[in-house]
Amino acid sequence: MASDSIFSRIFQKIVANSVPIVSLGLAGVFTLLFLIFFYAPPGSDIGPEQPIPFSHRVHTGVKNIQCEFCHPYAGQSTFPGLPPVEKCLYCHNYIIANHPWIQKEHEYFDTKTPIPWRKVNYLPEHAFFNHQRHIKKEIECEKCHGAVETMDRLKAEPFRMEFCIECHRELKANLDCWLACHN
Amino acid sequence: MKRRTFLKITGIGALSVAAGCNTRPDKALFSLVEAPDDMVTGKASWYASTCRECPAGCGILAKNREGRVIKVEGHPYHPINKGALCMRGQASVQAVYHPDRIKTPMLKEKDSFKAISFDQAQLILRVKTAAAANKGSNKVHMMTELVGENLLAIFSDTMNIWKSHPPVVFEPFAYESLKMANHKVFGLEGLVSYRMDQADLLVSFGADFLETWLSPVEYARKFKAMHAVGNGTKGAFVHVSPFQTMTGANADLWLSCKPGQESTVAFGLIHEVLASDGQKAIPENLKRELAQATLEFTPEKVIEIAGVSLENYRKLVQRILDAKHPLILATAAGSSGPASHAADIAANYLNVLLDPDLSLMDFNRRHRVEMASSRKDVHDFFNGLKNRQGDVLLLNNVNPVYALPPEIGAREVLNSENHFVITFSNFMDDTTACADLVFPTSHALESWDEYSGVTGIVSALQPAMGSLTPTWDIGDVFLMAADSVERTAENYKDYLFQQMISKEILKNDLDWLHMIQRGGIFDTLKSDETYKYSAREISAEAIKSAAVILKQQLDEPENLLIAVPSVRFFDGRSANRPWLCEAPDPLTQVAWQTPVMIHPDTLAQYNLTQRDPVRLETRSGVITALAYETENVRPGVLIMSIGQGHEGFGRYADNIGLNPLKLIPGTIDAHTGGPVFSGSVSISKNGKPQKIANTDGSRFQYDRKIALTISLSELAHKSHKDPAHGEKAGLTMWDFPMTLPLPEGYDKKRDFYPPHDHEDYRWAMVVDLDRCIGCGACAVACYAENNVGIVGLKGILEQREMSWLMIQRYLDLQQPEKVIFLPMLCQHCDNAPCESVCPVYAPHHSKEGLNNQIYNRCIGTRFCSQNCPYKVRRFNWFTWKWPNPLNLQLNPDVTVRSKGVMEKCSFCIQRIKVAHGNAKDEKREIRDGEIMPACLQTCPTGVFTFGNLMDKNSKVRQMVDDPRAYQILGYLNTKPAVIYLKKVLQEI
Repeated sequence: MASDSIFSRIFQKIVANSVPIVSLGLAGVFTLLFLIFFYAPPGSDIGPEQPIPFSHRVHTGVKNIQCEFCHPYAGQSTFPGLPPVEKCLYCHNYIIANHPWIQKEHEYFDTKTPIPWRKVNYLPEHAFFNHQRHIKKEIECEKCHGAVETMDRLKAEPFRMEFCIECHRELKANLDCWLACHN
Repeated sequence: MKRRTFLKITGIGALSVAAGCNTRPDKALFSLVEAPDDMVTGKASWYASTCRECPAGCGILAKNREGRVIKVEGHPYHPINKGALCMRGQASVQAVYHPDRIKTPMLKEKDSFKAISFDQAQLILRVKTAAAANKGSNKVHMMTELVGENLLAIFSDTMNIWKSHPPVVFEPFAYESLKMANHKVFGLEGLVSYRMDQADLLVSFGADFLETWLSPVEYARKFKAMHAVGNGTKGAFVHVSPFQTMTGANADLWLSCKPGQESTVAFGLIHEVLASDGQKAIPENLKRELAQATLEFTPEKVIEIAGVSLENYRKLVQRILDAKHPLILATAAGSSGPASHAADIAANYLNVLLDPDLSLMDFNRRHRVEMASSRKDVHDFFNGLKNRQGDVLLLNNVNPVYALPPEIGAREVLNSENHFVITFSNFMDDTTACADLVFPTSHALESWDEYSGVTGIVSALQPAMGSLTPTWDIGDVFLMAADSVERTAENYKDYLFQQMISKEILKNDLDWLHMIQRGGIFDTLKSDETYKYSAREISAEAIKSAAVILKQQLDEPENLLIAVPSVRFFDGRSANRPWLCEAPDPLTQVAWQTPVMIHPDTLAQYNLTQRDPVRLETRSGVITALAYETENVRPGVLIMSIGQGHEGFGRYADNIGLNPLKLIPGTIDAHTGGPVFSGSVSISKNGKPQKIANTDGSRFQYDRKIALTISLSELAHKSHKDPAHGEKAGLTMWDFPMTLPLPEGYDKKRDFYPPHDHEDYRWAMVVDLDRCIGCGACAVACYAENNVGIVGLKGILEQREMSWLMIQRYLDLQQPEKVIFLPMLCQHCDNAPCESVCPVYAPHHSKEGLNNQIYNRCIGTRFCSQNCPYKVRRFNWFTWKWPNPLNLQLNPDVTVRSKGVMEKCSFCIQRIKVAHGNAKDEKREIRDGEIMPACLQTCPTGVFTFGNLMDKNSKVRQMVDDPRAYQILGYLNTKPAVIYLKKVLQEI
């Protein structure tokens, strides 16, 4: 009897407080969803979808094209540069020239429309990364960008200040705020 | 709202925000379709071109980043400006990205404008002009701003096809008086240039050559070449005028004379010079006639008529007689009345008497502004249109409705139904609003052209960026505007090339490329074109006519309002550039407003005080301006700057400030055909005192160690250094030793914090106050380089201005006409008061000595600003706006700061980093002088020197040992890295 009454009493309590409990539960679920969406949105493990599916794995891994062929300014400027549409067609006028995605590439070229590539790696606006200086110091691209040759869709590296500082400490590089990264 | 509802809404809001966001904002990276040869992302491309903000025609280099121009700098090899640029040149880039820029042609329908396409606009232009030309001759009328010779030729040719007169070239300041004086005395109706740098005495009868006169950047440089101290001497400069503007404030002696009586002083000087012996190769009859004409101008008479002080006048006479290479300059760009013509003539004769060879005048380098039509022609243009019907008016980049006195009736003519008015203008302004068709054309930074500010050079313009709007070059518009006999050129660029080939300036395509690359060809003067001048041929006729003019001088008017052009706005064409509005006037330190400068005696006479709204009334109109009390003007003289007070010139100029030209009568001087920029006004108080948007805390230094001076004689006796190193050093304001921001500046008796160690470099700046003329170009260059926010009038009134570098102006407490300008910027102290009070270490001392402000650490306590004795830290009270597309001008190498963050001068760290990169690439140290902060780069007079204090051979290190060197408020033991050199004063 006693136990029965305990269970029933608990059950009654639950029923009586169902609204707060459900709200709490829902809040928990929403928090969980928020955390998931905030830190690991769907697709984040494989990187964003691009307007034309471009595989870094195929180009660098399989075909062994050097990074600086497509990103020619990495060694001479702060920004590595993106290949102009015409550069893709240097090869793709001959290789899989009739593939529908290459046809789309032609469409961009013929209409003189820049391709809106989705930005993968993101640096806050108050941080200035200079590719040239790192390339000149012979820091490998993979050191920051990971194993690009294994990724079809390029995955973002979470560049936080810690990420930079660790390496700068290790290599005794510039740790000055303005002289190094910010201004 | 109930508490429950509030919670619900916030809950839903938070959830929806959370669901729709992640740590990485979506952004697109746009790839180019085809890569241009001259663009590397992340690196600037520089294009040589020519500034078209005023007729001077300085050479510029336009900095293009990722396809858009973000900054304009002076062209170092251009013979006019040699790397420097004034603030208007710096602000030219804001015209390209101005949010109020007209994007498409617009056709007036009833009272509103309707957007149409460029092809439609071109068609209307063709149809209307052809129809007018068919009706008879002179049915098309054109008025243009001063343009290059080739463009003017196209205009004239096209007008010819339309059977009409060539265009009237309207420049509000056309120097009619000086041109006519040159004609009468030298037989050359033009504007010669002056070798001011070779003079040892300058006497100006009002010529404001540091602000707007002929070619201000060039003359500012030349002025300091003669006026800066060197080898213990310096040239002298005497300004004869009823008021001081920036140029007058730079004079060693301001000889205050009654308005219009500069001519009397000039006549008196001729009298004195002739009375003294030693007149060189002057023909006897010329001497005799000059003596005859100036016979009555004895010192006593001059003092009486001109109201100058006898003592100062005698000093001036003595100085002129003693000078080896004196140069007399004419009256101001906005000169005041017929008397200025007499003064210009007398000034020319003075130059002949003092230097018969006229070696300081260059008759072969003539200023192009001499091509401008006289004001009489401009008035006739409008008067002639009043009784005509069905004509077509073409206006290229001129604003007569603003610049002409209202009684000329420019607005009425343009608004009338009688004519079809086409304006080629990029902005809706006073004049464009009256147009029937608005046809925007490419900005100078977007077009091909040629504009040579002086004869003997060819200065090229090239597009420094692609157009944001599909506008056309005005040259192209005119090439296609009429069915000509035969057009050889496809477009204006080809036309330019063909013209230059036919004039034998270029030989082939390669020459063209060289010219474009270098910004022009700077030695095109052929020896057979040189003008030979001889004092023997000069007749004295002109002095007689000048004497007649002097005799006709009416009684002096009571309360004469003089409208003067200013270094900020020139004639008003650049009034809509927010940087120029935000930069305060050099002398009043007032931004955004147009106060009226009045002498305290005059104020007292009308029972007025500073900040009172003063109602100024003439026959022409009424305006109410705030009174600015100053002893830099004579009693009875009221000074207002020209340039503001537009009607409908966009968000930064519409009804901002006041336009004194509204009060000026439309009188034309019969002798010169020039305008008058002054008029007698009646004064009365009109309301309660209002706030003035001034950026200065005080006009005086109250004996504090801020902007210091030293006299020339004192300097001669001073061997070395301030009460410096060791001897007689103490701890008070005046005996505290110079303490360099280096480990050697550490003294354990004085210092609480340990010394900083610097690695290889310790950046420092030397500011030579003897060279600073107060023009403010550096301050505007800093806005351009460092994305400094614009706070507007309200912000300035609340003292929220953001300028990292400001030109402070101090007056001498006893002699307020003695003015000193001081560029104030972050001192990058070694013992920085800001660093020690920040709770989060946001001001950080870098290993190269810079005081870094780490924006993202800053939590906005503002303790640092409170503790900074120099008051150079700026707090972002708001996130300042750059309305689209003004944001495209922002420098991508500098963080845009947002609300709640402190900021200040960084010594242009982004440029230091570039120099570091270059040095590393070439495996060397950074060279002395390699780093040029934006302020240093643009300074016309070489005030700034930047370099490494650790390097014993660097220029800054050497200059620190100058006997004039001192540190502002150094006794606070802040150890500033900005070392100032005292301004050198001399007695005339």
